[in-house]
Amino acid sequence: MSELLETGMAPAGDFAPARSLWRRIEPAVLGAGSIVVLLLLWELLPQLVTLQAGTKMLFTTPSKIAVTLWNMIVTGKLWAPLSVSGTGFVVGLLLSVLVGLPLGVVLGRSRTLNAMFDPFVTAFNATPRLVFLPLLMLWFGLGVTAKVVIVFIGALFPILINTYEGVRNADRGLINVVRSFGGSEWDVARLVVVPNALPYIVAGLRLAIGRAILGVVVAEFFGAEDGLGVIMVQAASRYQVDVVFAGLIVFAVLSLIMTGLVKLLENRLGGWRPQRTGGE
Amino acid sequence: MQPYIQGRNVNLTFRPPNRGPVRALQNFDIDVNEGEFLSIVGPSGCGKSTFLNVILGLIRPDSGDIRLRGSPISGPSTDRAMVFQDFGLLPWRTVQANVELGLELKGMAADARRKVSQPLIEMIGLAGFEGHFPHELSGGMKQRVGLARALATDPSVLLMDEPFAALDAQTRDLMQVELLRVWQQDKKTVLFVTHQIEEAIYLSDRVMVMTKRPGRAKKIFPIDLPRPRDYEMRVTPEFNELKLQIWNELKDEITV
Amino acid sequence: MEIVPTPAQEADSGEAPRRSFAARHRDKLLGILAVVLFFAAWQAIFLVVPFNKLFISKPDLIVLGLIDLIKSGALLRDLAVSAIPFICGMALATVVGVALGIVMGWRRRVGLALDPLMTVFYASPLVALSPLIVVYFGVGFGAKILIIFFLSVFPFIFNAYAGVRAVDPLLINVVRSMGGREIDLYLKVLMPSVLPYIVAGARIAIGRALIGVLVGEFFAASEGIGYAIARFGDLYALDKMFACILVIMVIAVAMTEGIRWAERTAFPWRAQ
Repeated sequence: MSELLETGMAPAGDFAPARSLWRRIEPAVLGAGSIVVLLLLWELLPQLVTLQAGTKMLFTTPSKIAVTLWNMIVTGKLWAPLSVSGTGFVVGLLLSVLVGLPLGVVLGRSRTLNAMFDPFVTAFNATPRLVFLPLLMLWFGLGVTAKVVIVFIGALFPILINTYEGVRNADRGLINVVRSFGGSEWDVARLVVVPNALPYIVAGLRLAIGRAILGVVVAEFFGAEDGLGVIMVQAASRYQVDVVFAGLIVFAVLSLIMTGLVKLLENRLGGWRPQRTGGE
Repeated sequence: MQPYIQGRNVNLTFRPPNRGPVRALQNFDIDVNEGEFLSIVGPSGCGKSTFLNVILGLIRPDSGDIRLRGSPISGPSTDRAMVFQDFGLLPWRTVQANVELGLELKGMAADARRKVSQPLIEMIGLAGFEGHFPHELSGGMKQRVGLARALATDPSVLLMDEPFAALDAQTRDLMQVELLRVWQQDKKTVLFVTHQIEEAIYLSDRVMVMTKRPGRAKKIFPIDLPRPRDYEMRVTPEFNELKLQIWNELKDEITV
Repeated sequence: MEIVPTPAQEADSGEAPRRSFAARHRDKLLGILAVVLFFAAWQAIFLVVPFNKLFISKPDLIVLGLIDLIKSGALLRDLAVSAIPFICGMALATVVGVALGIVMGWRRRVGLALDPLMTVFYASPLVALSPLIVVYFGVGFGAKILIIFFLSVFPFIFNAYAGVRAVDPLLINVVRSMGGREIDLYLKVLMPSVLPYIVAGARIAIGRALIGVLVGEFFAASEGIGYAIARFGDLYALDKMFACILVIMVIAVAMTEGIRWAERTAFPWRAQ
């Protein structure tokens, strides 16, 4: 409890230089430390406790996973399935932006259309898109189409809803400012609505990337004949646990890189904002 | 001679979606002379700000006649500019781009805009801050930008909607002095809405007291204090006498 | 359009002081109308387009299928089978997630140490581990609970963490200065500050937990609503498949909107 209280009161000048250096690197050290400790524990687990033969077969260590991943990269076994997964991801995400952005703008500007679309948006957003997978497999087979559609409906709603919120939340005062200078509807959109909505849209994109990757993974688990997810399921059934983890890492890295790029975009676009408005 | 701004029998009722209708203005009359500094004081919600928006052309009254230089006001135009209470700066635009907003909307080229905005930015004392974003400025600086933006299109009427209400007391005093200095230079017609009687007297040629909602003009006080006015004037007996008169007129309209 | 009305003005310009029922509930009525139109169009389009029941279904057949599923008790049985791991997994995620999040927010060092680790977990598609979970724990109850737990625990962690950090130190000092004891701090400041965050986390977690149910049942089950959808798909029983999909949609909407309603009712002081 006392720690909470101190946050507001700790005078910065009271710390000696050495202490303040530690203060600065403390988050990084602790954060990296916990990850390292966890990996070490995992690595050393077989040495610390004796595993039963059955468990041993299903057990793997970080080093084995790293070696497997490295081998998949150098032998090129990773790239073909990854490009299949990547295609589904990119096409689905692109489609969701192409549809979600304009639709979000329209719904944000028209109260009537918004009222009519609202039940559908609410329903589809609340429902896990996965329920449609068996139906999509039935319609589109095991190819890339079902995957694209799953990614698309997963990524569509974060973009749609965020665009809509961004457009609707445009400051009425600022709209009036532009109108008071004789600005047209187009000027209002260009000068107020779009700049206001941009951060929302980019945040929506970030969410959409997570959903899209999730979509690729589940689609490939249940309804595809090609892709990284397929490799992972097959590996799991053959008890090649390290391959499953290697696949997970690839997906995680993909997701981190993509969201990192979007964060970069966010920072570039957000020069006018006060540092860290927090919450999204 | 016809007054510069003339309002006759202006009526306006708001109809919010989920509540009953609100009558903002009823049989509102006003005359403003050219180059005059007129302040409007009144209880909260009496329709002062609404009236400024009517003159600005953002709100159309239900009935009545409102004219500028004899021709009816039908919409926003660059001969009127507003300084907003919460500044109304576009947060994603720099100081300079905010000052140039009205010029840009008029379709002026970038270098011509710069020729107008640069002296204005210097005049308000923000030279060197051209590239700053609003969130990097203090409240007083933000409102200086708001003032410069309104002046940039060289309007003949300046509408000010409680422009200093969001500032602290000292900054407010300084901004009042600043505003008088600017006004003294080119004598635009100013309509100034405020809650503060002292501010109204200090700045104005006339002070109009409005009734509570629905708003009408209750009484108009000419302020015959000499100009240029200085800060010491606020402690003279004449000043305090005016303050008391206006307060007496206003207090009946205020319900807590 | 030169003069643009303010929001207050644009609603209507009639003189009626009391607005009609239709005007007051305009948005809701429009929404209902749109849904009705959607289903009507779905039904009507097959008057023009040839109908293939191995490819698509239509509302009247879906309703019949739904009635069939309800009468036979199959729907209820499947829902009950899915509900138990859902509830257990969510409960486990709530307890573990909230506890961990509060400790992280409370003890600054714990927060610093675990924040990056949790972020990595949260960012990686943990669904990808479900084949492994199935391999480890077999087909059934335990695997389902674990999948649901892993998917839904992180919103609780992050929201409880954020909630504790958002507690206003000023309020703590206010309560202390008025002679409040430790217990007062918990009950009067901490709880009301953190609870809305946790409930909001629950709203996110529900969606993820539903994914967990479906993943678990698509992979590793012989009953349950997710399994039913997959099986009806295999059997080309599209009417029943659509019926199950609609049931899940209704449940998902009811749960998330229910929590939204609870948020509004329980925390009216929070700005919407």
